[in-house]
Amino acid sequence: MSFFGLENSSNARDGPLDFEESYKGYGGHELEENDYLNDETFGDNVQVGTDFDFGNPRSSSGNNAVNGNAVGTTARSYVAATAEGIGGPRTNAAPAAAAPLDLKPMESLWSTAPPPAMVPPSQGAMAPGPQQMGPPQPILSMQDLERQQRQMQQQFMNFHAMGPPQGLPQGPPQQQFPMQPVSGQPGPSQFAPAPPPPGVNVNIAQMPIGPAQVPVQASPSPIGMSGGPSPGPAVGPGKMPLQGGRRSKRDLSPEEQRRLQIRHAKVEKILKYSGLMTPRDKDFITRYQLSQIVTEDPYNEDFYFQVYKIIQRGGVTSESNKGLIARAYLEHSGHRLGGRYKRTDIALQRMQSQVEKAVTVAKERPSKLKDQQAAAGNSNQDNKQANTVLGKISSTLNSKNPRRQLQIPRQQPSDPDALKDVTDSLTNVDLTSSGPPSAGSSAAAAASKQRRRSSYAFNNGNGTTNLNKSGGKKFILELIETVYEEILDLEANLRNGQQTDSTAMWDALHIDDSSYDVNPFISMLSFDKGIKIMPRIFNFLDKQQKLKILQKIFNELSHLQIIILSSYKTTPRPTLMQLKKVDLFQMIILKIIVSFLSNNSNFIEIMGLLLHLIKNNNVSFLTTSKIGLNLITILISRAALIKQDSSRSNILSSPEISTWNEIYDKLFTSLESKIQLIFPPREYNDYIMRLQNEKFMDEAYIWQFLASLALSGKLNHQRIIIDEVRDEIFTTINEAETLQKKETELSTSPQRSPELETELKSITYNKEKLYQDLNLFLNVMGLVYRDGEISELK
Amino acid sequence: MLFFSFFKTLVDQEVVVELKNDIEIKGTLQSVDQFLNLKLDNISCTDENKYPHLGSVRNIFIRGSTVRYVYLNKNMVDTNLLQDATRREVMTERK
Repeated sequence: MSFFGLENSSNARDGPLDFEESYKGYGGHELEENDYLNDETFGDNVQVGTDFDFGNPRSSSGNNAVNGNAVGTTARSYVAATAEGIGGPRTNAAPAAAAPLDLKPMESLWSTAPPPAMVPPSQGAMAPGPQQMGPPQPILSMQDLERQQRQMQQQFMNFHAMGPPQGLPQGPPQQQFPMQPVSGQPGPSQFAPAPPPPGVNVNIAQMPIGPAQVPVQASPSPIGMSGGPSPGPAVGPGKMPLQGGRRSKRDLSPEEQRRLQIRHAKVEKILKYSGLMTPRDKDFITRYQLSQIVTEDPYNEDFYFQVYKIIQRGGVTSESNKGLIARAYLEHSGHRLGGRYKRTDIALQRMQSQVEKAVTVAKERPSKLKDQQAAAGNSNQDNKQANTVLGKISSTLNSKNPRRQLQIPRQQPSDPDALKDVTDSLTNVDLTSSGPPSAGSSAAAAASKQRRRSSYAFNNGNGTTNLNKSGGKKFILELIETVYEEILDLEANLRNGQQTDSTAMWDALHIDDSSYDVNPFISMLSFDKGIKIMPRIFNFLDKQQKLKILQKIFNELSHLQIIILSSYKTTPRPTLMQLKKVDLFQMIILKIIVSFLSNNSNFIEIMGLLLHLIKNNNVSFLTTSKIGLNLITILISRAALIKQDSSRSNILSSPEISTWNEIYDKLFTSLESKIQLIFPPREYNDYIMRLQNEKFMDEAYIWQFLASLALSGKLNHQRIIIDEVRDEIFTTINEAETLQKKETELSTSPQRSPELETELKSITYNKEKLYQDLNLFLNVMGLVYRDGEISELK
Repeated sequence: MLFFSFFKTLVDQEVVVELKNDIEIKGTLQSVDQFLNLKLDNISCTDENKYPHLGSVRNIFIRGSTVRYVYLNKNMVDTNLLQDATRREVMTERK
């Protein structure tokens, strides 16, 4: 059994071990010296030579159980004795003691604590040997752990060599104690991961039951290996306290007895095979298993888990990856209880050292596999074999490279795709009768310089033509994936503290690519994943690159699918999905733009962006879209803010001011007489409210636009604005007043229910909001709406 | 390794495992290994009447190959991250 420690593993390799052979002669039942405890063990009315089956107390099948089990299972006899209720003056005490004891079989099963730890507290107090209940274990280095392991192993070898001549079949558990000091190990060493003999686990569980063993353990004096334990002092002190204060078995109710028996039966079952493997064996298996799951490059092979944990913890990795694996594996293997003293820290330390070793193993493994794969070539893949510690395994199929259910052939982009592109463009031509000829052909792409962008947007509602004008859907999707890959690489470099080079990523964005009608980058923003990657892209760009991207966006705003989706003109009946997309864009891209404008940009750059917008787009169309309107608002309000700010500290130069006025005039001219169009028609609002199951439409963004437009304009501008939106102002006032009436109506109503209260609250809130929005605009021009009339702001 | 990596993040979460023999077991995922063997704790069977023998079982070890589905709560999955992880997997394969 495991008691043999090292030899065991070698035996195991040579062939199956015949346990009976190996124990031959150890437990012969001729009279032995120092077997004065046998009656404790076997009951005192038992004939010498009776066959015991310690593992199965109930069965009396007489194989040579004594022979086989005596060495390892001394203490088991108590279970047997207890369960069978063998009487006698001494055993009387033994079963009684068992009753209040919680055996905690799992702990003992996995216990890694060496023998001295077996002393229960009551006995430890009696004879507090130096090595018992030592101070908390200092952190052991891996070398320490290994050294101790070796030493312990050595001890057991020694002991094993000496044991039999002394004729002590029940020896092992008792003999160890005297040995402890001999080994010259300091106190803490007892917690070291030494392989305990098989009997230990049994003892742990049974300890308090067996008073007969107490003396031996309670006298850890360094008697040395030569002398057996002297009966005199040993027996005396040990028995007394244990017998006192415990109920005898007769006091137990039948129910309790039954439970006790069940428990014993259970413990028996568990103990039957306990100790079959030494801790070293277990370590070996653990290491082998670990080597399958550890990796040198966790962020690559274990990406999801690693990053998920970082996100969960808010960006802080509290524990090293190896620590995590060790902890997880500890849980997995059932070692988590940390042995009898619940030294989870020790168990974790050991597991960590295991992981450390396993990583070394794992490091060597892949290269081996690769070599073999290279040698085997591509043919006959399934026959490739890799020699591992446990034999040959197929190198093509393993947990890291499982068999594929789907084999997707890698197809070279060829004619079918091109054909499909053409068909796509054809269908689009049909759909958009008034549109310009499809740009699917390369000739049209070459003529991209002469495009009239603003008209394109009206061609369709789903933006597929735009996709085709920038290389086709497939091209764009592949582009997005390329960008993702570049970003993932860059982020990996960042994590590893390496230099990041974003040129490849920048090239993948195709910002400077003018070979398409619509810039591929703009088409990338047609896809959710293209939008979502933007903040991560911006992390790796310098200011000039960011500015370039923004210029591109404002330049080709009309081509942005999101503008088309969010305009009531091009998409009068948006789906919920489309609205979600608009929200996503607003959340991500607008946020980026705002943060760039407020942190990095100067007045000239903002003017440049606005100029890009005015020159290349139909501004009036843009204002029918929520996103477009928001973008214009952001630009002019930021410009106004800088202007105000600099009028105090650093004054803008007069050319700057005049350029600004010029640009503003241009913007205003393109809006003039169409300002009212920024208000979506009633039906559109109703539709959206129905779709989103809301009662009110948030139109704050419109008033914000009007406010910032008026703020930057002169008096004549403001007059024109008011003239044009006068109707809308009154509509809003009417709406607010209707709400006001409803509010008073509801608040005076006699019955009040929770639903009514919530409705009232929502009405009040929305009424206030309408006033707020309206006043935001009016205040800019020194006006205010209050108490049913518009007056001058004082 | 992608699925192993993914399932590791589900430890301590409640999942429903449907086996290939149609038994559905709900329980807290205790651990998972590279073969996607699962350890569940505090299990309950969705169809107690049909499989009464599972009524007295508290925890269970499931061999990964016998699992048909694992039902998850939607918010247990970071889909964006999962997409990235998938990309990484493809990238490493290509190398």
